[in-house]
Amino acid sequence: MEYILKNGIVYDPINEINGEKKDVMFKDGKIVNSVSDSAKVIDVTDKLVMPAGIDVHCHLAGPKLCVGRLYRPEDERRGVKPKTDITRAETGFSIPNCPATGYRFSRMGYGTVVEAAVPPLEAKHTHEEIIAIPNIDIPPLTLFGNNWFIMQFAKEGRIDDIAAFVSAWLKITKGYGVKIVNPCGSEAWGWGMNVHGIDDPAPYWDVTAREVIRALAQANEMLGLPHSIHVHPNDLGHPGNFPTTINSIDCMKDIKKNSEYRNQTIHLTHAQFHCYDGTSWRDVTSGVEPVADYINKHDHVTADMGQVTLDETTTMTADGPMEYDLYELTGLKWANKDIELETASGLVPFIYSGRNPVHSLQWAIGLELALMIEDPWKICLTTDSPNAGPFIRYPRVMSWLMSYQRRAEMMDNKEVHAWAGRKSALGTLDREYDFYDIATITRAGPSKIYGFEDRGHLGAGAIADIAVYDLEPNNFDPTRNAAAVEKAFSNALYTIKDGQVLVKDGEIVKIVSSKHVRTEVEGFEDEEKRILEEIMPFFNRYYTIKFENYVVHDHYAEPSSVYKVNASK
Amino acid sequence: MQANRGDVNVKQITLTPIKFSSVALEFDELIPDEIYSWSKEDFEKYEVPVGNSRFPLTDYYDIEVEGEAQSPEEVKMIIDGDAGRVKYIGGKMGAGEIIVNGDADLQAGAEMEGGSLTINGNAESYCGREMRGGEITVMGNVREYAGTSYIGEWRGMSGGKLTIHGNAGKQLADAMSGGEIHVMGNCDILAGIHMTKGFIQIDGDVTRWPGGQMKNGAIVINGRLERLLEGFELDAIVTDPEVEGRQFTGKYIKYIGDIGVNGKGTLLLNAEKNRHHL
Repeated sequence: MEYILKNGIVYDPINEINGEKKDVMFKDGKIVNSVSDSAKVIDVTDKLVMPAGIDVHCHLAGPKLCVGRLYRPEDERRGVKPKTDITRAETGFSIPNCPATGYRFSRMGYGTVVEAAVPPLEAKHTHEEIIAIPNIDIPPLTLFGNNWFIMQFAKEGRIDDIAAFVSAWLKITKGYGVKIVNPCGSEAWGWGMNVHGIDDPAPYWDVTAREVIRALAQANEMLGLPHSIHVHPNDLGHPGNFPTTINSIDCMKDIKKNSEYRNQTIHLTHAQFHCYDGTSWRDVTSGVEPVADYINKHDHVTADMGQVTLDETTTMTADGPMEYDLYELTGLKWANKDIELETASGLVPFIYSGRNPVHSLQWAIGLELALMIEDPWKICLTTDSPNAGPFIRYPRVMSWLMSYQRRAEMMDNKEVHAWAGRKSALGTLDREYDFYDIATITRAGPSKIYGFEDRGHLGAGAIADIAVYDLEPNNFDPTRNAAAVEKAFSNALYTIKDGQVLVKDGEIVKIVSSKHVRTEVEGFEDEEKRILEEIMPFFNRYYTIKFENYVVHDHYAEPSSVYKVNASK
Repeated sequence: MQANRGDVNVKQITLTPIKFSSVALEFDELIPDEIYSWSKEDFEKYEVPVGNSRFPLTDYYDIEVEGEAQSPEEVKMIIDGDAGRVKYIGGKMGAGEIIVNGDADLQAGAEMEGGSLTINGNAESYCGREMRGGEITVMGNVREYAGTSYIGEWRGMSGGKLTIHGNAGKQLADAMSGGEIHVMGNCDILAGIHMTKGFIQIDGDVTRWPGGQMKNGAIVINGRLERLLEGFELDAIVTDPEVEGRQFTGKYIKYIGDIGVNGKGTLLLNAEKNRHHL
């Protein structure tokens, strides 16, 4: 089937198309340069057209979500929407049910959403949930930062073996890339402890975050994976943590990149939580300036925002000790989930309020990051959903980035506490994102960062993932109309996925299965076999599950989209 | 709150049951705030949620509408018969009056903000859940979780008054943070669990553990309490105490708790009936 999307105003930063009026053509699910006369015409004259959105970091499938839904029924009742002839019933606000997750992303014009933290032991469960989430492709990142095997090999400096292990485990878990969360800290949590800074060793293993980050980065580049290591550094959410953040990035600047598509060797995720100065919640101030300055001066790093949206939400991360700290701080209900040999996660509900000074400062810090990092290709829009806010708020974050007036208004009329202005530089930043910048931080940049050569742009050969919004860029001023920006980006005029119209006028019109997007390394099979043989006695001794049941079998990951990597060295 | 009650301009809506449904009907849309301007024809057009579907209200009820209303305050809705399979009666209502001449199913008066709801029979569980204002009167018994929070929620009933002429079930007023509950009959375990503020009066006997993990607020028990929680410390024997502006006569044993959560709540037991605790 051939289509022509006619006369839209197109923003496609990868192909350097900045608001040109042009047609987008696609055939059999792929973008093409020309179509025949019989192509079906979809008229989008003067409307905003972009590639479909790509979310670089979200928690949307896996055991944490299930625990969240189980222990927060009071969240499930928010956002209830009855079934229709096409859709199933929706529930939930910060932790929606699986169908609602797919519908809501789809309505916002998103096509690909990264699940940011998959413990290998729970990978099967994650893929089962991906099966239940419709309409978006989902690449899962596999957790490696507190894995016993990795810690042992990192201590012994066995980079080749780590590469073999990562290669094998990406196949075993059907994962896309390497995620590191509070390296050594979540392991320390097994002993009721945490680590602080990148040179504080994990108990028993006597290995540091610096060693783990470097070793995994070297292995990642040895394999030439499409994505770099994806790092949630130590000391998340602690006042005075920005030096740890810079150290985590700086400790690996000598590691050479092995990828033609992406520029970075490390992705710093939810940077907002890692940019605090001061010594306590009383004297905390923004630490964005030194971090943004570092990122501006170095090309081996990219970041995403982790923007606080000032909502009641649910925090969930594979950073067990941090969640315990949060529980101590709020007194609200806390769930802890240990994953044997691999990681430890926690959950706590959280009420971000504009009346609260700290939350308001966090709000300002996220925006500061997006405004102080000069190159929009180095920063992506996220809320670390649901940690700093649910993903349905992305359009609101866009409206803040596009309007200095709106940000100033929020600070002036006390929608946020005075700390937002007093303890950060946000009030002085009059930069405003345009539609090209928004397309960069939500489409093009993520595509580059993840090595998604086939998506995030509208060049011939790319998959036909396209979003059309009910805005006329040539006839609309986003700097003065924040509410209209939010409304338009929340309800796509069209969301097209693999050439199929899934959303029309903000409503779901078609359901398709989500693809499991994963990486497969070729040419490393002998090394994988050797490492598996070596670790098997240890695996059998310490895991409570048999290896045969641990592996995610192919039918859990159907349909899938596989990025093959050739690592024959 | 109940302007014009008894005046000619009260609009009276009477629903008389004609067919019983074993799958529960849901009535949270049939509240004065929504229906004050509805004519008889509007009711006849309306489809009521039944399980996961909707069916015409007229399948289940004969509907009579008398008078006119300019606002929800002027509405009096009568369900003239058993509503033991009707959930959410008066759910989220903000004004006006609803009377049930029979039993009510789950969630009667849940999230109510104002107005009044009278149930002349028994009410199922979750009656008056997360009430914020208004008044609920149950002439019979209520089951579990009356005047409580939603499941998982740590913010419970915050205002209004719930009066139960019969007995109350388990976990009355979980996480209560305001308002008033009066149980004239007996009460089962864990009344006022997690409460932070507000007032509960129980005239009958209580099985055990009132005020578990309460931080503040007051519970007065005029009947016999079987077992007290260990987290309550004897404060004094008081005579004719005044609690939250209400005067009680006679001797009461006053406890402070729950000390397990550094609670400063007040628990008063009628001394005459609770000598076994001394």
